[in-house]
Amino acid sequence: MAGSRPVSAWTLFLSLLVLIGCIVVPGLTVKHENFKTCAQSGFCKRNRALADDASAQGTSWSSPYELDSSTLQFKDGQLTGILIKTTTANEKLRLPITVSFLESGSARVIVDEEKRMKGDIEIRHNSKVNKKRYDETEKWVLMGGLEASKSAALNAEAEAGFTKVQYGPGDKFQAIIRHAPFEVEFQRDGQTHVQLNHQGLLNMEHWRPKVDKEGDNDSGEDESTWWEESFGGNTDSKPRGPESVGIDVTFPGYSHVFGIPEHADSLSLRETRGGPGNHENPYRMYNSDVFEYELNSPMTLYGAIPFMQAHRKNSTVGVFWLNAAETWVDIVKKPASSNPLSLSGSSKTNTQTHWFSEAGRIDLFVFLGPSPQEISKTYGQLTGYTQLPQHFAIAYHQCRWNYITDEDVKDVDAKFDKYQIPYDVIWLDLDYTDDRKYFTWDPLTFPNPKGMQEKLDESERKLVVLIDPHIKNKDDYYVSKELNSKGLAVQNKDGDVYDGWCWPGSSHWVDCFNPAAFTWWNSLHKYDKFQGSLSNLFIWNDMNEPSVFNGPETTMPKDNIHYGDWEHRDIHNVNGITLVNATYQALLERKKGEVRRPFILTRSYYAGAQRMSAMWTGDNQATWDHLAISLPMVLTNGIAGFPFAGADVGGFFHNPDKELLSRWYQAGIWYPFFRAHAHIDTRRREPYLISEPHRTIISQAIRLRYQLLPAWYTAFHEASINGTPIVRPQYYEFPDDEEGFAIDDQLYLGNTGLLAKPVVTENTFTTDIYISDGEKYYDYFDYTVYQGAGKKHTVPAPEDKIPLLIQGGHVIPRRDRPRRSSALMRWDPYTLILTLNKNGEADGTLYVDDGETFDYERGGYIHRQFQFRDSILSSEDLGTKGPKTAEYLKTMAGVTVERVVVVDPPKAWKDKSTVTVIEDGAKTASTSSLEYFEQQGSKASYAVVKSPNVGIGKSWRIEF
Amino acid sequence: MRLSQSLFLLTVAGSSAHASSDKAARPRGVGPEFAKFYQETNTFTCISNPAVKIPFSAVNDDFCDCPDGSDEPGTAACSHLSQNSPLTVADRPGHSEMELTLALPGFYCKNKGHRPSYVPFQRVNDGICDYELCCDGSDEWARVGGTKCEDRCKEIGKKWRKEEEQRQKSMTAALKKKKELLVEARRQQADIQKNIAQLQSEIKEADLKVAGLEAALKVVEEQERKVVRTKGKGKVNALAGVAKARVQELREGVLELRQQRDDTLERMKELEEILSKFKIEYNPNFNDEGVKRAVRSWEDYAARELGDGISEDKERDLEEIVKVDGKDSGVDWEHWENEDDGCAESDLVYKLAAYFPPSLVQFIEDKVLSARSFLEDNGILAKPNSDSSSESKAVTDARDALKSAEDSLNRLNNKVNDQQSDLEKDYGSSGIFRALKGQCIEKDAGEYKYEHCFLDSTKQIQKKGGSNMSMGKFTQISITTVEELSETGDVINIEKVALEYERGQSCWNGPNRSTKVILECGEQNEILKIAEDEKCVYSMLVTTPAVCPGGEDEAAPSKDEL
Repeated sequence: MAGSRPVSAWTLFLSLLVLIGCIVVPGLTVKHENFKTCAQSGFCKRNRALADDASAQGTSWSSPYELDSSTLQFKDGQLTGILIKTTTANEKLRLPITVSFLESGSARVIVDEEKRMKGDIEIRHNSKVNKKRYDETEKWVLMGGLEASKSAALNAEAEAGFTKVQYGPGDKFQAIIRHAPFEVEFQRDGQTHVQLNHQGLLNMEHWRPKVDKEGDNDSGEDESTWWEESFGGNTDSKPRGPESVGIDVTFPGYSHVFGIPEHADSLSLRETRGGPGNHENPYRMYNSDVFEYELNSPMTLYGAIPFMQAHRKNSTVGVFWLNAAETWVDIVKKPASSNPLSLSGSSKTNTQTHWFSEAGRIDLFVFLGPSPQEISKTYGQLTGYTQLPQHFAIAYHQCRWNYITDEDVKDVDAKFDKYQIPYDVIWLDLDYTDDRKYFTWDPLTFPNPKGMQEKLDESERKLVVLIDPHIKNKDDYYVSKELNSKGLAVQNKDGDVYDGWCWPGSSHWVDCFNPAAFTWWNSLHKYDKFQGSLSNLFIWNDMNEPSVFNGPETTMPKDNIHYGDWEHRDIHNVNGITLVNATYQALLERKKGEVRRPFILTRSYYAGAQRMSAMWTGDNQATWDHLAISLPMVLTNGIAGFPFAGADVGGFFHNPDKELLSRWYQAGIWYPFFRAHAHIDTRRREPYLISEPHRTIISQAIRLRYQLLPAWYTAFHEASINGTPIVRPQYYEFPDDEEGFAIDDQLYLGNTGLLAKPVVTENTFTTDIYISDGEKYYDYFDYTVYQGAGKKHTVPAPEDKIPLLIQGGHVIPRRDRPRRSSALMRWDPYTLILTLNKNGEADGTLYVDDGETFDYERGGYIHRQFQFRDSILSSEDLGTKGPKTAEYLKTMAGVTVERVVVVDPPKAWKDKSTVTVIEDGAKTASTSSLEYFEQQGSKASYAVVKSPNVGIGKSWRIEF
Repeated sequence: MRLSQSLFLLTVAGSSAHASSDKAARPRGVGPEFAKFYQETNTFTCISNPAVKIPFSAVNDDFCDCPDGSDEPGTAACSHLSQNSPLTVADRPGHSEMELTLALPGFYCKNKGHRPSYVPFQRVNDGICDYELCCDGSDEWARVGGTKCEDRCKEIGKKWRKEEEQRQKSMTAALKKKKELLVEARRQQADIQKNIAQLQSEIKEADLKVAGLEAALKVVEEQERKVVRTKGKGKVNALAGVAKARVQELREGVLELRQQRDDTLERMKELEEILSKFKIEYNPNFNDEGVKRAVRSWEDYAARELGDGISEDKERDLEEIVKVDGKDSGVDWEHWENEDDGCAESDLVYKLAAYFPPSLVQFIEDKVLSARSFLEDNGILAKPNSDSSSESKAVTDARDALKSAEDSLNRLNNKVNDQQSDLEKDYGSSGIFRALKGQCIEKDAGEYKYEHCFLDSTKQIQKKGGSNMSMGKFTQISITTVEELSETGDVINIEKVALEYERGQSCWNGPNRSTKVILECGEQNEILKIAEDEKCVYSMLVTTPAVCPGGEDEAAPSKDEL
């Protein structure tokens, strides 16, 4: 009775403190304390200190590296010699250098350390780690393009102390190597475009024994981070001491640099040494699982491609830093006053970049362009081109963490059909597994995985499931047992199996650097091993940075040991793609004779990943800012050679409102990889669940993607043979228009002339599209004309409209019949949309194949060039015949062009009612009807050719 | 065989009402009800846009001419004409401003041997045999990519008829059950009414009883008061002595208590700091259920309604109280100890309190109670054995008797109210759900079992460990709109009876769980499907005879129209 009063008095007191305890509101920003700033990373600090030192000394600074002229040899396009480093203690260290001139037009500079090559060093802590500098990155990354230039030759006229090599297409390139201090200038047509060590920041921290000194440090160097580094409660034992490498790369006359993903930042990279609008830290590349990553930041993310393009009016050059260790890049832009470059095209700015990695060799490729397309092509020759994906992979993917049962999956599948929204792939995040053991199914929630996959296959849909590299540490799990009994797991610094925490709790990591692990991983994917999986199942490799919940910076300790006794430090950034590589091999042939193109989505990546996989930008958030940043992120990936990229549509964390979700779909259809995904704590948001009018808006967006799939697939094909991005930024299409260089919120789809500008801000119902050239641009939907070079044009963008223009001069292939999945569009006829350029001409291409096998490598494809010249539209073959050509053409014999729409045709067509159709092999010409439709005001008129019914695989002419 | 054939004839007869006008062969894909539009041989008039006329040869020529798609009943050429498509002006040349109305429901499959039906145009000639809708395989007439869809109507029709027969039987049985439910519901309603009448008469009796006992208590109390008055008086100064000791004791208690309070608060503050830091720093992406639960509980705890906290005033009061008594503060005991017995009335003792500031009195009372309870709870003070007040047994007995009579009256009143409001409550049409109330059905789904107790609750039961989670408590019967596919593949709205359950266990980062149980006619009470439509918003599809059509009219129970 009486008790109630005192209790309430107590609550009173307690409550006050509760109140105080609640003042802190959780934020949605990255946990900075989990990731290093430059100042917290020993080698970053040291290399920046070097740069500061050099800058402070100005012209009196001299790089302590010089080429020993007596050691120089030039043979077979390769210059070799010894670079001498003079230490502060006046020691002379020998650093073998190789400069290779390649047939592709790129040049490669490798610098190693002689002592370590010979193994003439001692490793601390009795560690067994490899004594060499890691020299196997190329094994995982390079594909070819290393043929030495046959024409490269020494320029005999070089003055003393210089070596000059002429190389490249038409011998238009020249490398001028100054011996002392060491510097390399790369010229094209006699003009310098790239300078190495021009700032004198070349740095190769040589091996040295640890000397326990007392009192003064005689070298004058800061040794505090040489032997041990601690961060976040973890201590790195650094058995080899300091070993970083760095060099500066200057682009004289260039004010824009692009590339080096993955960062949530603008396309045009910012300066990194402070100042308004600039970053304080260098761009960092150290593949990490960054939770709730922040935007407009140089912080590292999940993947890394140390490939940079520098661009100025009509010239693009590039560098590729082939090093798998943690890497930072500083960028400074300086007025080019001291060295006036009078040549046209150069801006008055020099961009100075400074690259440094914690370990490994200096291994740098230099590309001299001069166009972005040539850079893409040459870079692709080295690292490989985008895989030509299975056709379903470029359609719409529906993902959620998690579809919770096999019945749930079937229900979602049925609902898409019910609302007639197409989709091709449904995804299962980790909770399909039995207790987070990969290659198993939860027996309670997925009792019938085969039935589920069979159901999906009825409309030729696919399933993608998550398989991660961390293997649950559990005795009764056969995968874990095999991993350990075969000794295929990553080891800790003491050589024991490394144990860390990830989704399943205590886990071990498969070490895909080990060839035996490759074979084993391959076996796990066979139908008899991964039971319950069918041939329409594909793989998602997540957490392969690797993400380790209790590791330093959420990844592995750097002194962990991989196959070949390499430290994790040496290989960290390629770790992710070794898993993807193993999975790729596994998916190629899951049973004998069934060879198909694999599909893998990876979160972590490095140069070369484009050959095997698609990527997405990881765990983004349902905010407008995240929607906006997805465009520059996807564009950047494209110019860095990995165009099969996308962001989670809708945003992974939190709940998007309907407007945001709809706009995200309207933007997402322009991601080469188009997948909606959501966190387990979010509300369901499959498109059919969204109330009208947004359901219709989203359906229209998805159907637009499907309608344009022929154009998308053609763009993918182009990327797969010459490395061009699938969606392209303004500078890439208009390399001479300086106004467009920094634009990263609008994009071009392949060569189609389609220019999209997704709305990425709330409550926005018009948008400004920038047009570089003087061609007419037509609104995709109503043919409104926009014309005027070098300015922005206001385009209406109500909620149900995607701002989308077509440049004059294109032929765009479409398939207009909506089907349940893209596979079911296989036999549908095409519609061709023509817009004419100033000369009344139009061009376009179409690539088609079976979308599944490798038959295209043996001619099993259709590749057409469409041309409109002198009132004749023609289709010419671009393909090369092979053993599979005839067979494929036969299967496609019934597939025709059902419709040709000519936007803004000549006025004279008003009186035309027929066109003449001449198909190769047909005995006589036929006619098709043509109808001209007049439109008023700013909307262009158009003409429609009905049923020319010419074969898509045939050569033909339509005469207007 | 023979039986099924006659059944087949029956079904076809229904749909061929228009067949009389269907003399010439209809174009491919045209249903009999549209045959009249496809009669002319020279020109075809678009059905919804009669202004548009095309040569009849353009019908089914695999090119979409009509803005309403009516010229392509047998192909997929007009399948893009849909609100869901990103239509451009050239998709309906010359008519793009016109409202988009589709003339045809789909491709008509004759399905000889089964029921005819429409398949959506987007499935025509896509290389997939849509036997569910088109058992004769005619939707794949173009045999794209070599697709061959054999006619399976014979087996599918047979199977369907068998199932249909089963369905009819089941419907008959369902209706029978429904009638039973109706009878039961009525019986229960009558029972309640009877019950109410019964209770009301009991209430009358109880009223009388209470009145009697009240009177009795009054009498006994009156006598008692006189007795108390005669009890002896104490000396003021003696009392003051006792009071002083007592006050001292209390003061020490308060001091000690305050110390303990401060210590506890200190610890609590430390704990809360740990927790709020934990909340900020944990990574929800790791999805550790244990951690999430802990964070959620913390959030609930932190968000709970708060009082005013320790006010400075009260703290000052407390400060005042714990000062040692003297002339300037508290009670001047000397004055009281030296006081003559002159004013010896015991009432004065009770007026002692009047010498304290009123807030102090209140505060002391509170604090004493709180101190006592605290000390008792911590085992420092023994709990008092019993109330030491000395009321006579007669009074106590009389009071107890009254109390118990009042209680039972209240109980009766409550019962009547309950019953009455139950009568007024919505139990659905003809009150049929009355008969189902509290009946529970279960469904197995993976690691959970789901339970639905009609008009009571919905639950998720974990199979491992068997822990229960409430998915909502019954709130009301409602009508809900469900999107279903029409025979022609259009999404249409259907109204269904639903039972709503709300305020279940609250969700991580979400609302309290709630469930909408959507009812369908069926022979058994059975959960067909459970879906989580949104985070923690569930829907259950349940069959029950209660919503089957018909049967309400008890007067004509024998009429069987099924």
